[in-house]
This record gives sequence, structure tokens and C-alpha cells, in this order.
Amino acid sequence: MKVLKELVQELDRCVRCGTCRGVCPTFGVILREAASARGKVSLAKSYVDGDIALSRTFIRHISECVLCGACEEVCANDVPVPDIIIAARGEKVRSEGLPFTASAVMKGLNRPHTFMSLALRVASKFQPALFKKVPKESGMRRRFPVPLVDKDRLVPPLAGKFMLDTLKKSGKVERGVFVSRSRDSKVRVGFFAGCLTNYISPNIGIASIEVLNRVGADVFVPLKQVCCGMPALGMGDVKDAKSLALRNLDAFEGLDLDFITTSCATCGEALKRRFKDLLLDAGDPATGRRVEEYCGKVRDINALLVNELGIGDIIPAAAGDESRKVATYHDPCHLRRSQGIKEEPRELLEMAGLRIKEMNHPCRCCGLGGSFNLTHYGFSMEIGKKKAEDIDSTGAEIAATACPGCILQIKDGLHHVGSTVKVVHVIELLAGRLRGGEGMNSG
Amino acid sequence: MIMDRRDIEKLTSIVGRGNILTDKEERICYAYDATNQLHLPGAVLFPASATEISRIMTLANRQGFPVTPRGAGSGFTGGSLPVEGGVVVSLERMNRILEIDEENLLAVVEPGVVNGDLQMAVERLGLFYPPDPSSMKFCTIGGNIAECAGGPRAVKYGVTRDYVLGLEVVLPDGGIVDTGVATIKGVVGYDLTRLFVGSEGTLGIVTRATLKLLPLPEAFNTMMVTFKDVVDGAKAVSAIIRSGVVPTAVEIIDGVSIGCVKDGAATGIPDGVDAILLIELDGDRGSIDRDAASVKDLCLENNGLDIKIASSKKEVKALWRLRRALSPSLARIKPNKLNEDVVVPRSKIPDLLSGVRDVSEDKGLMIPCFGHAGDGNIHVNVMYDARDKGETERAWEAVKAVFELVVRLGGTISGEHGVGTAKAPYISMELKPPVINVMKDIKDLFDPKGILNPGKIFQCHRGGSDEGP
Repeated sequence: MKVLKELVQELDRCVRCGTCRGVCPTFGVILREAASARGKVSLAKSYVDGDIALSRTFIRHISECVLCGACEEVCANDVPVPDIIIAARGEKVRSEGLPFTASAVMKGLNRPHTFMSLALRVASKFQPALFKKVPKESGMRRRFPVPLVDKDRLVPPLAGKFMLDTLKKSGKVERGVFVSRSRDSKVRVGFFAGCLTNYISPNIGIASIEVLNRVGADVFVPLKQVCCGMPALGMGDVKDAKSLALRNLDAFEGLDLDFITTSCATCGEALKRRFKDLLLDAGDPATGRRVEEYCGKVRDINALLVNELGIGDIIPAAAGDESRKVATYHDPCHLRRSQGIKEEPRELLEMAGLRIKEMNHPCRCCGLGGSFNLTHYGFSMEIGKKKAEDIDSTGAEIAATACPGCILQIKDGLHHVGSTVKVVHVIELLAGRLRGGEGMNSG
Repeated sequence: MIMDRRDIEKLTSIVGRGNILTDKEERICYAYDATNQLHLPGAVLFPASATEISRIMTLANRQGFPVTPRGAGSGFTGGSLPVEGGVVVSLERMNRILEIDEENLLAVVEPGVVNGDLQMAVERLGLFYPPDPSSMKFCTIGGNIAECAGGPRAVKYGVTRDYVLGLEVVLPDGGIVDTGVATIKGVVGYDLTRLFVGSEGTLGIVTRATLKLLPLPEAFNTMMVTFKDVVDGAKAVSAIIRSGVVPTAVEIIDGVSIGCVKDGAATGIPDGVDAILLIELDGDRGSIDRDAASVKDLCLENNGLDIKIASSKKEVKALWRLRRALSPSLARIKPNKLNEDVVVPRSKIPDLLSGVRDVSEDKGLMIPCFGHAGDGNIHVNVMYDARDKGETERAWEAVKAVFELVVRLGGTISGEHGVGTAKAPYISMELKPPVINVMKDIKDLFDPKGILNPGKIFQCHRGGSDEGP
């Protein structure tokens, strides 16, 4: 990862044309130049030039970005704004370290999931005392003041059983790796769960394994895997992100895998691209080769199923039937922009027996932005409400997407606008179809 | 210029604590526009009404600090740069569409409304607001009015001034005036509305505009034609105009510019293409098909190589995205550019393009050209590296040579960007001294203390010379 001073050329590519103002979700909420990519790039440039210090105002503005990449997408000069923001946040981490809570979380994430499981399992016992369940929606509202939790926030409940814990006790573990073989073993696929799937939505992970098995993939889930590191990177914490990337390289080694996949768009970006950013410039050729090989195998699960494993031959799309349920699809930033994947999840939805009705701005960020949602909840929800309105006005029964993070945010946003649209991962819907049901048992 | 603390306090009481920014970090973000130059203001204000702006102007007039109005900061000539410091009055908060009158085909808007947002809002009702500057997705109507923005559709529909019927304006002394009408016709008194349109925020700050709308055309047809020689492309444009077909837009992109976007995006444009025409037609389906056929023939007669007709909305969007990405993408050639939006009579476009080619060779600089060939408005971009002193000097010489050429061809040195600071040194090449003096007298009448957007249009306010460098 480049530090800010090494990004001078990239900073200079910005000609201040203002195109980013038209697409920036944070600018769209506060309508102040410093919220736009152009403003942040100008501030980063002034900082590098020594015109401003690492001041509170500078840090605040740099923190107000969801890293959605919409600006980079429309920029005629390819200014890599997310990289610039991450590097600018890194300046703060380098000079002041992480804030206390973030640093504690990072320490936890930097251990195998089993460690966090223990801590979170204890926490999950207190859930009913602290939160009350919101009827009909898969979320909870707080009962008493809880640190970091806004009173209107719809808090996702921790899963009763975490995914990797469940797999560990399944009896199908071989040398620290959960293995689920397919009836007709054609390929060997490693599955990366990611924190949200593991701790909050294990059914997305279980559904992923099921679907992969059905299309002839033997699935390997190394239990040693850790967080993908994107929360750390988003905060500018390159050191922890690097160490997490290395642990994940280790966890998947020696399994002779054809592919590594994940059903989380954000983890996908980390595994496919950010691991290289983090580890390639380490000046260590052996690690370089390992990370190239690892990243080369990574596919998002939607792309893997459609493009590599030929799921279309097994379940053709149910086109033409007008009585099908209507779903709308939200493009996760880290899938559509970071990985260029937009058609595959839509094809899978058709295969799951749904009719797609596109929303306005399907690729406008949901506003989660990883830890942005924790540190800037109100702001995050202002962006989230726009997404919720776009979804609600389609009249669709189901809002599907391909990222467990977007799912949590969209549920919260819909709750705020009083909508009852159900939010589900594409893979859950697909698994439901394969099981012969509707695939709506989410949450 | 450092703002007086007491002035800041008074300004704060006018706009409210949350609507004034004084930290350096914040001011940096309002120090630039699309010219990419930096002029730090002393404070940035976000008023919410004409009354607040009036109070700001009254104070500025008494205290003598400069006021620079600003929309989206997307201008190309420095119109919103606070070159003499003072305060920037950002109109971003005043962004409401107040009324869309479907019976009388009018819209009443605040200045901070984004052009593209207005277009979408009226199109949902089957109406049409034609002015479409390339920055329409983020530029504001207030800025459009101040600069009299144009756009590709000007060929058929004219420019911003053709759609502004009436204005509410805060004058430099704090007075609030209403100009114009809410009707198509109106001749009572001088046409102050037209005076304010294109006055670059030097005579007053527009706080509300009554805009004319049209019915939305039934259909659009967009096509792309390639040429081996840019002069052939220009000849095809002249032929189309002569034929009586009135296209919505005729954009030309020369070979150097094509190279830039090809570099940045997969365009599918083959090698050996030195010009592209992007032609849009609108109207009812029958007339469009007829016009498309004649346009096609005329292009082929003028050595057109390949004609691609966009068959879906997506393809139309892709074609226009290519065009809109052009201006910023030129930074791939050289870090700096002098972006001139000259206009010549349409029949003279081939002379302009071949003349610019001569200047380019003479000065040894790349000068990509593209723009609104249909109305004779060509964006001539002299590319250079400001770190290279010799090159910078030659770039300015090239600009002067291009302006001389344009004036010789009977054109004007700015079609839609305005003069601002960028073209102030050159206005005397086009305007005779008595005209400049009348203009300065007008400025003086409105703003005797010279506090509203100083340093724009004229190099010297009064008494001085506006001779070029």
C-alpha cells in the first residue's frame, strides 16, 4: 500500500472538474465541497504540500467517506480516490494509533475466529437483556444506552451459532479444514466466510456451501481463516490488514484448490485485490508468488457459479412466467465497481425463479461503508434512506443483494422508512429454489 | 485578504453558525474551480434566502470586502474564484425547484438546483429544459445563468439566455430586484434579465429564476460517424447545416482528443480515425427517420467512413459519456491546458480547424479540438506543462494566435465559458474600446465600490487599459 506522500502523481491527476460531485453519496447528503471527492483530494494535496496539518477538521473530512468508489468510476483521469482516502486515514493511524475501541476489535480480529467466537458468544447471552426484538423484522432495537449504538439503530442479532463453530462440530473436519464433498466432485473450492457471515448471517455461508456442492464443487472451509482485513484497511490500519492477509494466505495453503470464493462482496475485494496491494510491495518474492497465486484463484461466488461452474446448465432461468415473485437487486459497491460483477447475480436471481424489477440507481451505495456506519451512524443512515426509498418504490417483494454488509444496512434503512420489503442474499434465494422452497428463511 | 473578526461575527449572525466556514481546511475546498487554480477566500457563507444575501451585500458594501458568488465551482474561466479574497457566497443550499407550471411551460427554481436534476424533474412530466452543458450532472442553474452556459443542443435550441424569462437578483448594494416576466413576450423597459445572464456574477447574485420549458420531443436518435480527416468531418457539418436539417446536436471530436478517451476507456474506435461526429436528432419518429437518412448520405458524400446508430438508451448514454469525459481526460497529454471555447460562423469551421493545425505545428504543441460543431463552437485545448517555462510561453502565444484567427474568421473568443480571469487579457482583441467603456460604466453603475466578484472580465476596472499581453 502506498502512503499518502507516494500518491502525489495520483493527487495531481485531479483537475477539480467537479464530476465526482454528481455521484458522491456523502456530498449528496451534506452538500459541502469537503464531503466530495474533489474536496478530499484537495485537502490531501494541501496536507502533502504542508499547507495544513493533520488537524481535526482534516481528519473529520477524510473520515466522511464510504469508500464506494463512485467518484473513481466517473473520473476521466482515474484518480484513485479510495486509495487516497485509505492512505490519508493511514496518516492518522501512523501518528496517533487507532482509537481505543477500534484497536481492541482489531486485536480480536487478528486471532482465529474461534477466539472472537468465545468473546461474542458471551456477548450474545446478554443480547435479550440489552435489546428487544423488533416484530416481523430480523433486527433488534436497544433497550438501554449501549456504547456506540444509536437509539434508532436496528441492531443485527448475533447468530445463535456462529458458522465456523457449527462447521467445527459437524464431524466433517479434516486437519483443521471443514470439508463438504459434492456427489460429483469436479472442482475443489475454498470458501472464505468473512466476519458478517460467520457471526451474524451463517445461513448465507451454509447456503453457499449447499449450492456449491450441488454444482459439483467440493468445498473446503479452513477453520483457521480470519477477518479479510477490510475494516482495518478502511480505517487506514495497514499493519493489521497486512497481518490478517498473511494469516489468510496460510489458512488456505496446501489444499490444492482450483478456486477460492466468498459470498461477501467486500471480502471478495480484499481477497482478490487488496491482498496484492498489501503484500506485493513487501519486497519478499516468496510472499509475492503466494499472494499472486492466492488472488488469482479468488472469484466472487456469483461469478464462480455462472462463469466457471456452469450453474445455468443445472437450473435454467425461469423466464417468461409473469406470476413469479418480483425482486429488485442492489449492486454492492465492492462487487460492481471493485470487481466489475453486475450481470451474474441478476442471472442467478432469474434462476432462483424471480422476476427482476430494477430500482433507480441500483449501484448507488447503501451507505454502510464498513466501519463508517459505526462511527457516522446518522450520516450513514441518511445515505441508507435514499437506497431504501429506491427499493421501496419498485414495489418489489424482495430486495436481493450479494453482500452481507449491504443486507444489514438495507434492512436498517427500510426499517427507517417503514417498508416491509424482505432483504436477502442472492445465494439464499438460489439455495431455497434448489431445496424446492422459496429460500426466504433469512435472518 | 484576512477577514476582520467583527465582520465574521456579523456574517455569522446573518447566516447562522452552521452556515459559515472559516477554518483553513474548509476554505481550501472553496478556493478552486475547474480551472484548477487556487485563491483562498477569507470565509465561505451558505445563505438560505435572498434576504440573507441582501444583508451580506449590505455589510460587504459598507466594509468593502469582496464577495464572490459560487454554484458548483465547475466553471472553466475562474468566474467563481475569489481572486481578491473576501467571502465566497455558496448557493448550494438554495437548491429547491419551487414550481413546475405545466400549463404555462415554466419552472421557477433557486440558483443551487443542479441542471441535470431540473432536466429529470421536468422530463418526468413530459417537459424539456434544453440547455445541457457537459457538466450538467453537477453544475447549477445559477452558474449556468451567470456564465450563459450552452451545450451540444444549442444548435437547435439555443443557450441558457434563451430560456431565462425572469430573475430575482440581489444587487451589490443589497437591493433586491425582480427583472423580466413570466410570459413569452415582454418589452416593458430595458431587458435587464438578458443583462444579468452571462454577466458572470459581477452585477448581482441571482436568487431565483423563471425558466421557459418546452414539450419533450417524442424521440431522439444518436449516431456516430467516423472520418479519416478532421477537415472532412467539418465539411460534413457544413453540408448538414446547409441541407436544412436542424439536428439537436452535432459534436466533433478530433484525432488527438480521440487518442485521449481511447486511452481511458474501451471505445471500439479503430485506428486511422482522425475525426468523429456525434449527431443527435429529435422530433417525431417520422421526421427523425427522414432526417437521419439525409444526414447519413451527407456524411458519406464527405468521405465518412463508418456510421453507427445507437439502438438503445444504453448505447446513446455510452456515446455521450465518451463526449463528456473528453475535457477532463485531456490531462493525459500534458498536466496543464488552456481551454478556449471559441466560436466561428459555421461555414468557417474547416478554416478554423486547419488554422489551429498550423498553430499547433508552428508552436510544437498538441492542440486537441472538439466541441459543438453544429453551432460553430469549438473547444480548442492548448496542452502544455507549466513546469516548462518555454512551453508555457509558447502555449500563451498559441492561444493568442488562435484568438487572432477566430476574430479574423468573424467569430468570438468565448461561446459559453465566459471571460472570468482566464480570458480577461484578451477581450480587447474582440471588443473595441468604446464598447469596453460602456461595459465598465454599467459595472460601475451597479457596483461602484467594485466589491462583487472583482477581478473578472476586465483586467482593470476603470480608467486602465485592457490591452492584451
